[in-house]
Amino acid sequence: MNEKNGYVELRNINKSYGDFQASKDINISISRGKLAALLGPSGSGKTTILRMIAGLEHPDTGQILIDGKIVNDVPGSERGIGFVFQSYALFRYMTVFENIAFGLRVKKAPEEKIRERVAELLKLIGCEGLEKRYPSQLSGGQRQRVAFARALAPDPQILLLDEPFAAIDAKVRLELRTWLREMISQIGITSIFVTHDQDEAIEVADDIIVTNQGRVEQAGTPAELYAHPATAFVARFIGTSVPVANYGDFRFFEYAGPDSVGIVRPEFISIFKKGESVQFARSAEEGIVEDIIFRGSSLEIRVRIHGNLLSVLRSFNDPEIRIGETVDVFLHRMFIVREDKVDLVFNQSIRTESVFL
Amino acid sequence: MTLRNNSGPVKWILIILVILFLAVFLILPLVYILMTALGKGVEVYKASITDKYAVKAIQLTVQATLWAVAVNTIFGIAAAWCLTKYAFRGKKIISTFIDLPVTVSPIIAGLIYVLTFGRQSFLYPILDSRGIQIIFAVPGIILATIFVTFPFISRELIPVLNAQGTDEEEAAALMGAGTFTIFRRVTFPHIKWALLYGIVLCTARAMGEFGAVSVLSGHLRGKTNTLPLYIELLYQGYDYTGAFAASSILVIMAVLVLILRLFLERRGQKELDIHK
Repeated sequence: MNEKNGYVELRNINKSYGDFQASKDINISISRGKLAALLGPSGSGKTTILRMIAGLEHPDTGQILIDGKIVNDVPGSERGIGFVFQSYALFRYMTVFENIAFGLRVKKAPEEKIRERVAELLKLIGCEGLEKRYPSQLSGGQRQRVAFARALAPDPQILLLDEPFAAIDAKVRLELRTWLREMISQIGITSIFVTHDQDEAIEVADDIIVTNQGRVEQAGTPAELYAHPATAFVARFIGTSVPVANYGDFRFFEYAGPDSVGIVRPEFISIFKKGESVQFARSAEEGIVEDIIFRGSSLEIRVRIHGNLLSVLRSFNDPEIRIGETVDVFLHRMFIVREDKVDLVFNQSIRTESVFL
Repeated sequence: MTLRNNSGPVKWILIILVILFLAVFLILPLVYILMTALGKGVEVYKASITDKYAVKAIQLTVQATLWAVAVNTIFGIAAAWCLTKYAFRGKKIISTFIDLPVTVSPIIAGLIYVLTFGRQSFLYPILDSRGIQIIFAVPGIILATIFVTFPFISRELIPVLNAQGTDEEEAAALMGAGTFTIFRRVTFPHIKWALLYGIVLCTARAMGEFGAVSVLSGHLRGKTNTLPLYIELLYQGYDYTGAFAASSILVIMAVLVLILRLFLERRGQKELDIHK
């Protein structure tokens, strides 16, 4: 198998529900052993893609390939797929043991082998001793782990997860993210999960596929998406992005016309107290602090400059800033979006210096 | 001010009102039935209910009820399943049609079958040449009983299946389970209590059906008289003791069904609490 072609591939996929086109000319490729995220706002078509890979939906046109073979006409149960549903869809009237054993029983595996496999998976997910419980007697996190074990029991080649953390409260979610990432890399299974939460995608996935209005906007590693957004949508969607229409008012940035817009992220900005002696002080501009938000490990400073409210993160080790204070603001760089092209533009006063992201 | 705090005279007036209502409309007639049935002594009562025609009527009622329950269980599950698990054109119309027997008068239900299978129907020669008699015969009674009771089971199942969604079935199908396995291991445990409850309601209604059966029966004593029809016959013949004795059997059957219903509701609720 040519690894360049990817383990799971979608080629020119289109899918409509009545008048609504859920997938528009989708082309994606996911390499063997990778953990990929389908990231997009709700209604962007990411779940449809996942369900088509699973065989729960069928594309109107185009091909789905798994390991180089076209699987359009192969039923989902024969595609070697494990699926974790958004609400887990655990069998409510079966114990944890029977839930995990279900796929093996359907395949008529010998009883002894079933016992062995379930015990092994229970150990893997850290739920030993829960085998006699019913799903309703488990916590949210435990349910997710059991759903994960149930999907893995028949030894699938691909694991698909639909919003795997959506039904869990915030604190457990962070813990489970790390857990799932470790589990998947330990097993080495090719995995695809759907999420609308960019933090989740960036933290967990090797590759991210950004979807919007039924299209794939961009696919790449989290770092690539961050540094080189290919479309206006990705530039706005990834990171804490603030659009700035009048970016030409900022010193050392050239205005490209009224059909263009600047996009500024917190990490593009530095702020300094008046009199704080720094490298960029001479090229900085004045802004007024409007709000300060406690973010736990840092402070988010919201500063008004040229009519725009920009966010900056500031360490607790830096000199204290108060609301209403006039500060120096230096903009290192910004994205300039024109039509659907995105350019990274640097502050001209540092043009000559070496640049890193 | 909430209703719960308002526990003064209003509460007691309402309770007394309900008790009085039940006493006048329910308890009193029931007691009267039993008293009249036993009015001429236990021996007469015994003779009345072991009468040749009475036994025949009981047998026919049981037969029609069993048929109706069996057919409607299969039909009810099939209808509820297809209306909740699949999306297709005309789903709304089918769903509405299922309720028809509840809204239409039983007499009309009976007449429909007389028109469909009677002498004036184009089906009559075909059936007659094969020696099949439907109206004024046992098959007609069974048909009428099925018709008036067919929404009972599907109506119990549809809300349960709707609430459950299709995720669990999809999960099972993705693991390679066939339709029958999915039904037996995933869907059936969900609908078990609702199904039994539906069967109980269906049984109660089937036993007591009068109107539609009356039109189709032809009132042949010992042949096509169900228990309710037999009771009417005795009553019209001024045999009050006999009529009330036969009634008491229906009453006892109804009370048994009520007890069963109470038990099923309790069990079902308990299981729901565990698995919710």
